[in-house]
Amino acid sequence: MLEKLEKLFEEFTSALEALSKEAEILNLKSEYLGKKGAISGILAGLRDCTPEEKKQLGPAANDVKNKIQELINSKLQKLEIDAINEKLASEREDLSLTDSVMASNNHHGGIHPVTLIQTEIEDIFLSMGFDILDGPHIEDEFHNFEALNIPSDHPARDMQDTFWFHDPHAETDEKKFLLRTHTSTIQVRGMTSRKPPFRFIAPGKVFRCERTDASHEMVFHQLEGMMVGKDISVSNLIYFMKSLLSEIFKKDVEVRLRPGFFPFVEPGFELDIKCLICSGKGCSVCKQVGWVELLPCGMVHPNVLKAGGIDPEEFNGFAFGLGLDRLVMMRYHIDDIRHLHGADLRFSEQFKTF
Amino acid sequence: MLISTEWISDFVDLPDVSPKDLGVRFTLGTAEVEDVIESGEYLKKIKIAEIVSIEKHPEADKLNLVTFNFGGKENARVVCGASNVRVGLKTHYAPIGTTLPIGFTLEPKKIRGILSEGMLCSEEELGLSESSEGICDLPQESVVGTTLGEYLKETSDVLLDVDNKSLTHRPDLWGHYGIAREFAALYECDLKNPFDEKWKQVLEATFSNDASPITPKIEEGTSCTAYWGLSLSGVKVGPSPTWMQRRLKAVGLRPINNIVDISNYVMTELGMPNHIFDRDEIEDSKIIIKLSEKEKFVTLDEQERDLLPTDTVIADGKKTLVLAGIMGGLNSGVTEKTENIFIEVANWKPALVRRTSTRLGLRSDSSQRFEKTLDSQLTYRTLLRILELVKELCPEAKVIGKPEYAGEDLNSFEPLQLNIKASHISKVLGKSLDQPKIVSILSRLDFKVTENGDDLTVLVPSYRSTKDIDCGADLIEEIGRVIGYDNITPEGPKLSVEPVRLSEAQKLHRKIRTFLSMNAEAFEVMTYPLVGEKLLKKADWPADSSLKILNSISKDHDRMRDSLIPTLLEAASKNAKNYEEFKCFELGRVYPDFEKEHSVLAVMYYSKNKSPFLKLLNTMERLCQALSLPGEIIDKHPKFKSLAVNEDWSGLHPFEFKNIRIMGKPHGSIFSIHPLLLKNNKIKGQLSMALLDLSSFEGRAIKDKTKYHPLPKFPEATFDYTLDVESGIEAAKLLEPLKKLKIKEIVSHKIVDVYAHASDRKSVTLRSTFLDPDKTLDGELIKASEVAIIGALESAGYLLKQG
Repeated sequence: MLEKLEKLFEEFTSALEALSKEAEILNLKSEYLGKKGAISGILAGLRDCTPEEKKQLGPAANDVKNKIQELINSKLQKLEIDAINEKLASEREDLSLTDSVMASNNHHGGIHPVTLIQTEIEDIFLSMGFDILDGPHIEDEFHNFEALNIPSDHPARDMQDTFWFHDPHAETDEKKFLLRTHTSTIQVRGMTSRKPPFRFIAPGKVFRCERTDASHEMVFHQLEGMMVGKDISVSNLIYFMKSLLSEIFKKDVEVRLRPGFFPFVEPGFELDIKCLICSGKGCSVCKQVGWVELLPCGMVHPNVLKAGGIDPEEFNGFAFGLGLDRLVMMRYHIDDIRHLHGADLRFSEQFKTF
Repeated sequence: MLISTEWISDFVDLPDVSPKDLGVRFTLGTAEVEDVIESGEYLKKIKIAEIVSIEKHPEADKLNLVTFNFGGKENARVVCGASNVRVGLKTHYAPIGTTLPIGFTLEPKKIRGILSEGMLCSEEELGLSESSEGICDLPQESVVGTTLGEYLKETSDVLLDVDNKSLTHRPDLWGHYGIAREFAALYECDLKNPFDEKWKQVLEATFSNDASPITPKIEEGTSCTAYWGLSLSGVKVGPSPTWMQRRLKAVGLRPINNIVDISNYVMTELGMPNHIFDRDEIEDSKIIIKLSEKEKFVTLDEQERDLLPTDTVIADGKKTLVLAGIMGGLNSGVTEKTENIFIEVANWKPALVRRTSTRLGLRSDSSQRFEKTLDSQLTYRTLLRILELVKELCPEAKVIGKPEYAGEDLNSFEPLQLNIKASHISKVLGKSLDQPKIVSILSRLDFKVTENGDDLTVLVPSYRSTKDIDCGADLIEEIGRVIGYDNITPEGPKLSVEPVRLSEAQKLHRKIRTFLSMNAEAFEVMTYPLVGEKLLKKADWPADSSLKILNSISKDHDRMRDSLIPTLLEAASKNAKNYEEFKCFELGRVYPDFEKEHSVLAVMYYSKNKSPFLKLLNTMERLCQALSLPGEIIDKHPKFKSLAVNEDWSGLHPFEFKNIRIMGKPHGSIFSIHPLLLKNNKIKGQLSMALLDLSSFEGRAIKDKTKYHPLPKFPEATFDYTLDVESGIEAAKLLEPLKKLKIKEIVSHKIVDVYAHASDRKSVTLRSTFLDPDKTLDGELIKASEVAIIGALESAGYLLKQG
């Protein structure tokens, strides 16, 4: 009987080998292990055997039964995996077709570089307790000039090439509108809308009647800042400017103040930073001076405080203006300012940062 | 403006610092020095040499090899073509590297194969005469090794190029004497004032008792505030002396003749322009300062100028001579034949000078000084200084009479007095300063200070109070800049802590930008707020209603945009050439009228093939959700027109148009651009835009109204069914009758699939979902609901698909 058992097993394995369909295998399984199957037959035949034969044959038959079961299971499992793999192989996608190689790739967006830098600076000032204000682009003569201690016929108006909507020399009581030439227009609006002490910045577009070229634009961006309180000093001004610039340039910067004339501040300064390229030794960027002129600032002129309804005897403050476009161009090495308003997506898509 | 330090040394002994340091100190203390130029270095380099030997150049007959000694142990040899060379001749030798006064720099050079170590110079080459023969032949007693500077008794010079713009507010710094005063204060050294009482008396002694031939008269309404005139005779016009010519050349002025040079010299020295007339050209011996007639006038620069009755001129009895404060007439000046002169030193109202010079586009050395508001108190000093130099250069010249004056009373001038506390100066600068230091700085700057404890009473010099100094803050600047702002230690202010936050509008703008760039994958762009007729025409946009700029520089940017559409259309036509599809947005302002400017969001989707309208619409719907804006996409309504775009604009697509209703009003629109307009703008493909006027709601706080609903405990049931409808019917219309069903277990009705099965028919599969939050759904109820759904659709005319 043992031999018969062995022979059965051999027959089974060779039969199984030849099969590749689930149904056939299940048929084979029932041929051997089914109620009327060969192995079941042998096990049923045990009843007629001697105890000795039983002892020998019983475990052997069970052993074969288990083996068959196992072989069938593993064969079925293999078939399933093969089938899945075959399906996967047939459905295989071209994984090289990423967005970046496709002509019609519009799966990325980005923020304008001026907005990026402006937001960064806004956040620096927010962290130092400054409000952020906004004002109209079309301003009147009062906010752009008079309130800032620049009366008509003041030579400083020469420095500001203003776009006018009304004849500045016309004799009339009507408001004369213009495009603001600086964000300083916000000073009076800021002062009249709050009580000292206060501090705010105001970023935005400004306009100058100027021919455009790679470094000149008729529309550009400034950021005005103002702080008013009791006993505000030049020393405080230097502190804030140093903090701001160290944050912007992500390293400690050396600054120096020198006299600069702006009618709305007194004393007025030009703030230079030690050239970041040559560390002050002199290079082409700083024109061998070692310092780069960066922003005008100063202590708010008493007349401006008065125009803002603030008593200059009780309060004082500082103000500064920052050219945003210049910072943007420095940060990203942009060689032509006209790109900023060009709306050319070949320019825009270079700024995917956030 | 060029400042000669050699000239300045007439008034102050500058400390021994490098030229560069001199420039830096002035930049940090007074005004920006753009460049420091060392000139006249040749005066140190060129030395007297004595010829030791001469031999013929082996390659050239006319050239000699000349060996000479110039004071050292080593001899030098040059190749020389001069015919007057001889052994023992003493002459000037310029070594290699010398820049000669004629502007030529000696480079190492071989002449016919032999290296020449520099050059033996002629008078012409040294700029000592117009032309000369051969090299200089110096007297035998000349000492070998003496520099040209020592020989000519001239020194080299350091020129400071000061940025004119940084002197706008400092009329006193438009001359060397004023700059010298600054240096005296910055370096704490003494200012030499040669213009004292004694000096004045010596010059006044030259006045005569004769009647002055000319007495100036000022008519009403002119720009004149002060006018001095002085007549002289017996003047001999000729070249001015070398020292004067050199100084004038150093600061960039061309020497002309002694009288003209004196006029320029005094202007450059004392900062006050003046005019010297040929007195014989003044008809009727009259000088009248008056308003011009409407006339043509040829100025010294040979340009014909149109004068207006608002311009002030100086005229004689017959004709206009000078455009006051700006420029003389072509024939008013001194010529070689002049013998009698009339010296004018006057002051003019800055605003009027500026108005005329700006209108005529004529800015002169004179007008740019008067524009700064000069000090009339200094007119007399200037007049005497001119007289001094005329007498020096033409000793035979004679004053006829005395200086004659017209204008405001110069004697009634009261100096400006300011009061300030010394402690206040320290407080504002943020640096503790000794009172004596403060007083010393002010005194060196010619302020008269009286101390009373902490209180300072300061009298401002007349030339500083014309415009520059009028309050305490101005005095603080004087102290701060001389102390040096570098010496102030930065320190944060002591302030109370208060929360700060972005405004609602700023928050909204930031969120929009984040959503559109990150979620909608669009790029932010900026376009010009200034537009032109051409651009508007291309967009078939009304051009006449926009706000126009009076003084635009270009027709393409002469008015304000009242919509973002035209500029974005232009951007689209530019970008469509480079992309299959793109998405971008602008968050910018529009300017429909004065004081009406506001923010608008414009989003633009482009695709070469398929209309991006639906994608854009979905983006805008999701944007509203992300911003918690109660936005609703609605169809055109004859009564409630879009507030974002004119619905009659020809550029709109006939069908692809929806409005966005926010808080009851159509503040936004989504639309595609009409193919005809696209064609006119050379855009191949399809373009959709969304506009959202942010102004009416951006200032309002947006509350996040999201509310959590517990997840269902019981399973949902769904019912899918297919309707057969005409292809013209919008699929979403089928959902409308279902909204009226009042069955609370119905959660939603959605579209599963749309499929065109015939040319004019389509099947739309819908799915209704049921849920009872409290218990398992009742089979009967579902059955009844299904019947109700089909019934509702049937009564609306939508039938189930058969088969």
